[in-house]
Amino acid sequence: MSIIEVSHLSFGYAEAEVLRDLSFEIRHGSFLAIAGPNGAGKTTLLNLLCKTLKAKSGTIKIDATVIESYSSKTLAGKVAVVRQEFVPVFGFSVIEMVLMARTAYLGTFGFESKADRKIVAEALEMTDTAQFASRPLGSLSGGERQRVFIARALAQDTDILLLDEPTSHLDFKHQVGIYDLLKTMQLEKGKTIVAVTHDINLAAQYADVTLLLGADGSYEYGPARDVFTCEQIKKVFGVSVFAGKVGKENFFIPLGKFAKDSGQISRKP
Amino acid sequence: MKELLTAKKLVTRTTLAFAAMVVVMLVCSLIGTESVSLKAVFSGLDTQQTTNTDYEIFVHVRLPRIILAAIVGAALACSGVVFQALLRNPLADPYILGISSGAGLGAIVAVIGGLNWTLWGRSPIAVFAFAGALGTVWLVWFIGRFTGKSHVTGLILAGVVVNAFFSAVIMFLISVAKSDEVYATIFWLMGNMTEESFLVLWLGAGCVGAGIFALFYISPKLNALSFGEDDARSMGVNTAGTRTIAFAVAALITAIAVSLSGLVGFVGLIVPHGVRLVFGPDHRQLLPLSGIVGAIFLVAADTLARVIVAPAQLPVGVVTAIVGGPFFLVLLVKYTHKIGWPSK
Repeated sequence: MSIIEVSHLSFGYAEAEVLRDLSFEIRHGSFLAIAGPNGAGKTTLLNLLCKTLKAKSGTIKIDATVIESYSSKTLAGKVAVVRQEFVPVFGFSVIEMVLMARTAYLGTFGFESKADRKIVAEALEMTDTAQFASRPLGSLSGGERQRVFIARALAQDTDILLLDEPTSHLDFKHQVGIYDLLKTMQLEKGKTIVAVTHDINLAAQYADVTLLLGADGSYEYGPARDVFTCEQIKKVFGVSVFAGKVGKENFFIPLGKFAKDSGQISRKP
Repeated sequence: MKELLTAKKLVTRTTLAFAAMVVVMLVCSLIGTESVSLKAVFSGLDTQQTTNTDYEIFVHVRLPRIILAAIVGAALACSGVVFQALLRNPLADPYILGISSGAGLGAIVAVIGGLNWTLWGRSPIAVFAFAGALGTVWLVWFIGRFTGKSHVTGLILAGVVVNAFFSAVIMFLISVAKSDEVYATIFWLMGNMTEESFLVLWLGAGCVGAGIFALFYISPKLNALSFGEDDARSMGVNTAGTRTIAFAVAALITAIAVSLSGLVGFVGLIVPHGVRLVFGPDHRQLLPLSGIVGAIFLVAADTLARVIVAPAQLPVGVVTAIVGGPFFLVLLVKYTHKIGWPSK
């Protein structure tokens, strides 16, 4: 059953059209990776899926209900968002920040119940962030902070998690750590994961389905091995790639003008 | 794990802080060029003797002034909390969106216009300052709306520019005004506490108290808004409604404070930061405690302003900056490890 249905969606900023007649569906409990060049509309699509932006035309349905029907509060019970990393101005601690995920569920005078605290404790545990729960967010490393933001999204207790480049600025270990965590949430908690990423190799390894957006409004949707091909990548990103395979999935190394030994590369998947 | 804020903890801390505020107000009301005996005051309360000097000074001179300082201090501190949260800017204070220059312009227009009437016990300076303050906030808000998505930056820039423009108009009017008018305006601009009637105090306390209660009611949403509009919305906050209410209430209580006492600086900047450094940034606690600490701070500062060069008096704004600055720096050094300044 589809939890997100996008139908003939178009959106533009002023005169520039970013998304054009985009249609796809995401099944409940699946993992979608959205890739594409800068300016192709990846973050825009994410913002449309959480109602931060309003579509020019077309419809988005969450749980078979058009997104416009949801108030901020009811949508917060369905969709949680992890945006591109930023450091807050004031010194909120990790636990204080994760507790804010319960804002939509708070009573009249705004204090968390025992049940709220239990959910938050579980989110901290699952993301391995309980160890620095008392520390100010600003004192954590990039990878730790990102896990805290994911913990907050998890504590919001929604079926859908939207993530905007969750591994940007992170080293290999932390990139894999974040994707392992997302996959665990998908498999153990049944969450539907939608992640915008520039890393098509990790996307291919972890996502069930992928969406490759082109800067001209074109798009490809399907399993990674069908969407991420040398031809598609050349067409969408405008770069040649070296391709190989890890298991059944392709991996790619971009090749620039000064890439070493690029003339010797011939293997294609 | 860090001890979390609970309703019980908040009530306990707020009650203790409120009790401390009452004690400070009481002590400060006994201090001055004429010392007052509490015993004599209470005997005056019993007998209503008109010749009881201690009672007269306490009830008709000190108490109104101290209550006024508490109202103004609470209003400015809470307003500072809200502006810092909504603009996500630690440098924000109640005057950042041009309230000070708007109020100043209103005041000087009233002085130069030679107006001579009262409205609910308020002078034309106070009434015009109030109108100027609110009018300027509306103007800045109106301009800021055109900046769209970057609303916060647009608002701050609009506030800075409107402030600069109105300040220039104030300087122009001062330069062409008569010397006694200039003195009255400058004296007002520096911020001063005066003995107000109890009608004015009740009205001020009622409005400011209701405003602070309204802000406390939306304080969990202010926590979320500290992380930006998009983040707050995805956490279920009606950001447009919350922001409008918070701005309107904060602007209103600031305008009330300004119309009561002129431009008292520093309180709305350092009190929220001081409370945040000691108790943390959670707005459910930050708002009520900042209100109470703001009241205590301004009552104490005004008492110093009354006695430090007695029988003359200093403008209270001078004392808030001279005393508050070093005190805030001590807090900053002592508690800075709790903040966890971002490395980038």
